[in-house]
This record gives sequence, structure tokens and C-alpha cells, in this order.
Amino acid sequence: MTQHPRYVDMDKCIACGLCAEKCPKKVPDAYDGNLSKRKAIYVQYAQAVPLKYVIDPEQCIYFKKGKCKACEKLCPSHAIKFDDQERELTLKVGAVVLAQGSRAFDPAVHDTFGYTKHPNIVTSLEFERILSASGPYGGHLVRPSDKKEPEKIAWLQCIGSRDEHLGAKGYCSGVCCTYAIKEAMLAKEHSSGDLDTAIFYIDIRTYGKDFERYYNRAKDDGVRFVKSKITHIAPVDGTGRHMIRHVDASGRRVEEAFDIVVLSVGLMVGREGAELAQRLGVDLNHYNFAETGSFEPVASSKPGIYVCGAFQAPKDIPSSVIDSSAAAGVVGSQLAEARWSLTKTESVPEEIDLKGKPSRVGVFVCRCGTNIAGVVDVPAVVEFAKGLPGVVFVEENLFSCSQDTQDKMTQVIKEHQLNRVVVAACTPKTHEPLFQETLINAGINKYLFEMANIRNQCSWVHKDDPEKATKKAKDLVKMAVSKAALLEPLTESTMAVNHSALVIGGGVAGMTAAKILSDQGYHTFLIEKTDTLGGQARYLHETWRGEDIQGYLAGLIHSVQSDRNIDVFLNSQITQVDGFIGNFKTTLTTNGQSSVLEHGVTLIASGASELKPDQYLYGKDSRVVTGLELQQRFIDNDPALESLNTAVFIQCVGSRIPERPYCSRVCCTQSIKSALELKKINPKMNVFVLYRDMRAYGLREDLYRQARSEGIAFIRMDMDKELTVAVDREDLKVTFADRVLGRSMEILPDLLILASAIVPDAKNPLAQLYKVSLNDDGFFAEAHVKLRPVDFATDGIFVCGLAHAPKSLDESITQAQAAAARAVTVLAMENIKMGGIVSHIIPERCSGCMGCINVCPFGAITFDQQKFVAKVNPALCKGCGACSAACPSEAPALMGFDNNQLYAQIKGALSG
Amino acid sequence: MKENNFEPRIIAFMCNWCAYGAADLAGVSRMEYPSNIRPIRVMCSATVSPHHILRTFQSGADGVLVGG
Repeated sequence: MTQHPRYVDMDKCIACGLCAEKCPKKVPDAYDGNLSKRKAIYVQYAQAVPLKYVIDPEQCIYFKKGKCKACEKLCPSHAIKFDDQERELTLKVGAVVLAQGSRAFDPAVHDTFGYTKHPNIVTSLEFERILSASGPYGGHLVRPSDKKEPEKIAWLQCIGSRDEHLGAKGYCSGVCCTYAIKEAMLAKEHSSGDLDTAIFYIDIRTYGKDFERYYNRAKDDGVRFVKSKITHIAPVDGTGRHMIRHVDASGRRVEEAFDIVVLSVGLMVGREGAELAQRLGVDLNHYNFAETGSFEPVASSKPGIYVCGAFQAPKDIPSSVIDSSAAAGVVGSQLAEARWSLTKTESVPEEIDLKGKPSRVGVFVCRCGTNIAGVVDVPAVVEFAKGLPGVVFVEENLFSCSQDTQDKMTQVIKEHQLNRVVVAACTPKTHEPLFQETLINAGINKYLFEMANIRNQCSWVHKDDPEKATKKAKDLVKMAVSKAALLEPLTESTMAVNHSALVIGGGVAGMTAAKILSDQGYHTFLIEKTDTLGGQARYLHETWRGEDIQGYLAGLIHSVQSDRNIDVFLNSQITQVDGFIGNFKTTLTTNGQSSVLEHGVTLIASGASELKPDQYLYGKDSRVVTGLELQQRFIDNDPALESLNTAVFIQCVGSRIPERPYCSRVCCTQSIKSALELKKINPKMNVFVLYRDMRAYGLREDLYRQARSEGIAFIRMDMDKELTVAVDREDLKVTFADRVLGRSMEILPDLLILASAIVPDAKNPLAQLYKVSLNDDGFFAEAHVKLRPVDFATDGIFVCGLAHAPKSLDESITQAQAAAARAVTVLAMENIKMGGIVSHIIPERCSGCMGCINVCPFGAITFDQQKFVAKVNPALCKGCGACSAACPSEAPALMGFDNNQLYAQIKGALSG
Repeated sequence: MKENNFEPRIIAFMCNWCAYGAADLAGVSRMEYPSNIRPIRVMCSATVSPHHILRTFQSGADGVLVGG
């Protein structure tokens, strides 16, 4: 590996920003889409982690002309290293995960829209920056050309995607429809007037979980959706506007001028990404994405190398996060033996018992070079602190976070027998753990610490008013000291973890998760309510890539059944659940017999099923079948399929309707695949697909293109008008409104396939048993849609497969691998830490109203029926304090943030 | 107190995970705003009860901001 020099010592840089302030070289800021400027020494963006500066050697005056070095002269911590060198690193590893991501399509290369010439044509990423509060215009929605507020904004979809012209990509980028809707909604919110937003699209592909709901909301909020592929836009002279010509719903040609035109650019693998893959010997597909199969979705073609995220295919954040956990899970299986083999244990000095000792507060005021001291009168703050009650020691430091100051602080704490420490410096968000470490090293409980934020929230934001900034800094120190005097040591206890896992659901997701857990050495119980393993995959013929599902399924079932680490329970129902993360007790009934399983984690993979429609003569006429029933005929090699003359698919049966307003995600691709299969069986067959939006997302677009080239007719129907299926003198007759022709049409098929919705189990008791939540559609609701897509808010419980949302087989496998990997993070621990900043309910004050139980988002509070009081489980409590706010009698105390401490802070703030 | 010299004293309860982080970021971005605010970090804006807000006014605050 080569590590490029950054010319800034990461250990010394305190990110004060003085270097960038004084650097004379301004360059366009690529992060802001070149709409603003940065310096030659910079941080890429404000949220960058770690927050450390870097010199751009391509722009730095010293590197170009041999003199300047302004940053080196000014840096208060001597972090600039102009002699920094490129380094070669060699790491010995057991597996490699490629997560190099993708790049946005660049519309400047083949500039068909005039993007490079006209400032009011921006890419969607640039528009994101325009909307951002930290962006070039401070979050004010204005046109780049003249900074005037726009009245009309257009989004052009599929820029560089679903397009086979020079430089563009044939696939669907999968993310642009939803982000364009989001941008339109945000733009409306940011606009002071009545902003007109229009999205010009081919198909709206909001196939992700809850995305259809968002699309509907956007339509209700007045975002216009215009089905029209725009290929040309013309500037309107002197106005900064651009003319878009399109055909409206009634077939009329329309011309509209827009203030801003946003190009919804797609995702692609860049040249560097492809080159790296090639150097590693990883096969790429014809679009330069990593070649992977449906059954091992994160494995590259080269053993030991895994891929995740948008380098595997264009995908959004939730899918990328699921991928990354999946890759970690699969790697974990491969390297299970190496676990803990490189772990070192830290030795910690024993904690001094403070019981009965009066509080002795020490205050350390940081100058942070000139960052604080340049604005705030630090010596005055020090003098002020000396006069505060309980304070026995005050000192100022040049840089409190430097290693020598830390060592000195440890000594001072010991020498002066300090037992409460206040550091007035930057922010606890970044530096609290560091100073707590200092307390631990001095033998003091780390919770006896409080920070006063006199940099980020004082000197940096009030630099033009040193007097008031100093007054505020004094108040902040006073507030911190008032609170610190009341701090009590908090203890963290531990509880042993049971190293078994429970997986609920014997479909592909459940079995895949069980295999990963077993491969990593954890005993797994796999529970299935029916008498067979396999779930919905039993009815599937081939994946969209054409891989044989039944052969794969048989192999997976065999490997699960022959695995000694996996106990399979068929015909089993869960009847009772006790316990929590690390120590669950689940009671199940198997063929009338009751048994209790003890396990440390729970994975819910209870699946979903295909809706059996009650319309279009389904169940009344044998020529009407569902998508899965057709799959079964493929599996059975049904000879009757050969003699069919006409087949019609109806999409969105039971999906995207008011009573079920979600997209079932898989049906478009499955119908395309089945239509191709029918064509293969009988090339003369007429095959029609009646659809609303064809959602062949990602690389599935290739299959859609193939289907059209093979003569399959895709007809966009008008959902507002009636679609009927009737029998007319023995013939099956489908009557529908064609959206393009604007008239009613009839087809007489001899097979009608209903692409039926995926529906969750209506009477699923698991949500209640494990106290986890369902979304409005009845699918399980994850802790965080983007960042924790397989976790529940309640610790130790995970979700995967169709139980979470409709998804394809490869996506279920990935999610199962991810859920197993997340579960291993618990199983791999010997003990769980409990306590610290958690809530504690004072039983004497509790009246047993259960208000706290209803507001706790983590299921951490239970009710003691005997004592008639609520009780917090410290293993589940996250310390949010919602209970303490809900309680009418202040019974719950959030340790470290209790009411008395809060009141002391308030008093400290207002009493000066 | 003269009307034009009035400087409100504002207590801001700020969620550790969002508003407090945002206030830090305002600092990193060197945005400027009046110095009247005294921030109190809480672990969640849901911790802030009507009690706390009333107590703050009782203690002499002219305004309360709950950021979360």
C-alpha cells in the first residue's frame, strides 16, 4: 500500500484553522461543486473525521514556487511537515474488502446540455451543496448566475444512466429518482415563495423501503412529475433561464422556462476503481462493477477478496451499509479462528474510593493556542474560576489535549487530590473521552468530569466581541463547576453473554444467517413454523441473473441440516419471550411439546408471502395465475406453456394502491425474467406487460432492454382508468387504458399473470413478543433506515429478509449475512457493560402510572407488578432520559444528567 | 432597563446527538451569532420536561430554546 503524504502531522494538528485562514492560495472547492473557494491547506468538509488539515501539493505556493510557508510560521502546534514523504506499508491480512464506492457521472465530458457553459445548469450533487447550510450560499436557495431566488426548477432524470449513447451507461443508477424527489421537497421547503418543481422522468423508481410513500407525499405537496425524456435544453437569452420542451399527459407540446436545471447524474465506477480491481485480479462486468453472483453477493471472483457498496452495483446508503456488514460477516466466517489473536489488554489503575469525601473541583482552562485565547481573556476566566465555590485548583494550559499536558494533569489531580475535574476547552463531542482517560489514569471515576465548551460554542462564534465572549466563557465555566460539584461516581457493571443465537424463520434469509453464525463458532437454534425449510425460495425458478435457485436451495438446506452447530426446530411456534440482550429465554411449542431456549441474540427472518389476489378472476379462471405460480410452472417444466399464443402480465397487483401504498420491488424484474422465459419456450408467443413504472433498477435494466429487443411489449397503463378482466365467449379479455395512445385497449390472452404484492404476515406475534416495532405496512421497522438497517432499536435483536421489506433473493442473502455479522458483535463479547449514563427510577417516587414505559424507545423499562413500580434495565437503557421528562413526579433520574445537576447549571448560567 | 439595551438571557437545551453537534459545527464553520445563549447539553431533547422549562424561566431566563 502507498500512503500519500498529507504534509500535516496528524498527531499535532488541532484543527484550529489558522493555517487555512492565512493561506494566500485560493482554489475552487470541489466538495462544493466548485461553487465556492477553499485554500491550498484545507479540510475536505466540516464534518471530516478525523478533523485534521491537509496540504494540496498541486496548489500550494511553496510546492509550486519554492517559497511561502505561511502555514508553517503560523501553526501554533508546529504540525506542518513540508518534508513529509510517501510511505509504503505492508499489512498481513486474511481477507480484503473492496469498498471503494463509485463516482458521479460527469456531464461535462460529452456536454450535450451546455452544462459547462451555463451556471444555472447544475448537477444533482452541486444542487445538494446549494441546499446545504454549510454550502456555497449558506443554504439560501439561489441561482448560481445572479444569486436570485428561483421560481421554477427542473430535474432531468437518467443523466448518464439508462442511456447507451457515447460516455453514458446502460444501467439504471438506482438512487436518482428518490434523491431528485428529496431535492425537490427540500427546495420547496427552502424557498420563500411558491416554488414550482418539475421532475422529468422515464420511470419513477422509488422501489426502496418506504420510498413509494415519499413519492406519494411529494405528489401531494405539488412536486410535478412529467414523463418525458429530455434530451435538449436551450438557454433563453438574457434571462439565465432554460427552455425545456416536452409533451404533456394529453399529448400537447409544451414549452417551459426554468431558472435552474438540475441534471440527476448517475453513479459509475471510475477509472482508478477499475484499475485497482484489475491489479487485485478481481473480475469486472461490462460496466466495470465487480462481478458477483446472487448466492454469494459480496464475494468477488477472487477467493479472499470481497466487495460491498456501490462498487458492486449502483446502490443507495441502506443497501451499501447492509453490504458492508455482510462483507464483515462473511470475512468473519473465514477468519473465525483468528478472533482475539491480536488483542491486547490495557492495564488500568485502581479507582480511588471517594465515599464521604467532600468535592474538590479542579478547573483547567485551555488557551487552544490563540483559538480561545485570541478572543476570550483566558487569565480573567482563570481568576474568575478561582472564586467559584468548591474550586480548589485552577490552571491554564496552552493545549490541554497535548500528551505532555495530559501527563501533567494526571499529576496535578493526584497532587491536589482533585475529585471533580472541569476542562474549559473545545467540545465534549470530540474530547470528552480523552480527558476521561486522564481521570482514569489518575484513579478517578471518569464520570466526575465536566467540560465547558468555550471554543466551538464561544470563541469561534463570537470572535468580534471579546468582552461578551469572555463573559459567556465565565458563565460556561460557572455552569460546569456548579454541575461538577454535584456529580457522583457512576459504575459500570458487567453481565455474562450467552453465546447461542436464535434465528426465527427457515427461509433463505434465516438459513444464511444461521450458517454464518455457525461458521463463526456460535451454536444456533433455527426455528421454522412449517414442516419444511426453504421459505419463498421454494417457488422461485431462476434469479434475474439466470442462476438455478432450486439447486442452490437444496444445497443450502443440506448444509444447514448437516451442521452440528445448528439445531433446527420445524413445526415450531414461539409462545413466550423473557430476557434481553445477552440473556434471552424463548419458549417455543414444537408439535405440542414446549421447550425453553436460552440465547444471547435473536434474529427475526420470519419472511413474508405473495398476496393471493381477489380480483381479475384470480381463483375463478385457471388461466389467471400469480407471478409465483408461473415460476412453479417453470420449475415443473410445464409443457402447456409451449402452446400458449398470448401472455399478459399485469404489474402492481395489490401494490402501490391506497390500502397498500408500498412498492413490492421484485415484481417488475420477475415479470421481465418470466416474459423472457416464455419467449424462450415459444418464440412466437405474444407477450405483453402492462405496467405503471417499470422498476428494473440497477443492473437489472440490461434485462429490461433485452426483453424489449426480443419483442416483449411493455405498455404503460393509466391507473386512474379501469382495468378489467372478463370472460368473453370462452376468451379471457383484458381491457385497459393505454397511457400513450390515450385510449382503451383489449388483449385476449390465454395466460394472465398477476404480479402480486409481497405481504407481511398479518398475525405475526413476534413484534409483540420481542417488543420491536412494525412500520405502517406491517414490515419490521429497523432502528435507523440508513445507518442501522438490520438492527432493532432494542439491543440484541436483528432483522433480515422479507420480514424487513420486499426484496430479491440476493438482497435477502446479503441482509442475512449482515444481520448475522451484527449479531456476532454481541456474541463475541464475554460480557456486556451496563450502567454509566443510564436512567434509574427512584421507587419511592414512582406512582406506577407506566408513562415512562410507553415513551421508552428501547424497551428498557419493565413494570414490577409486586412493588407496583417501573424499573429500568441498565443493559438496554441508552440514557436518552425520555422517561425522566415523561414522569410527572421526577422519579427517573438520568445518571450524570439528573434534575439537580440540570438546575445547578441553569442557576449557574443566570446568577451572574 | 431601556428598551433598546435589552439583552435577553437565553438557555438552550441541546441534544447531544444533533443540536449540540450542530452548534459545534457552527463553530468549525466560524459562523457568528449573538452571545446571549447559554447552552446546556442533554442526552436527548426528550429529557427536557415542562418542569425544566418553567424552572428556567423562574430562575430568570428571558427565553428557552430546546434544540433536538
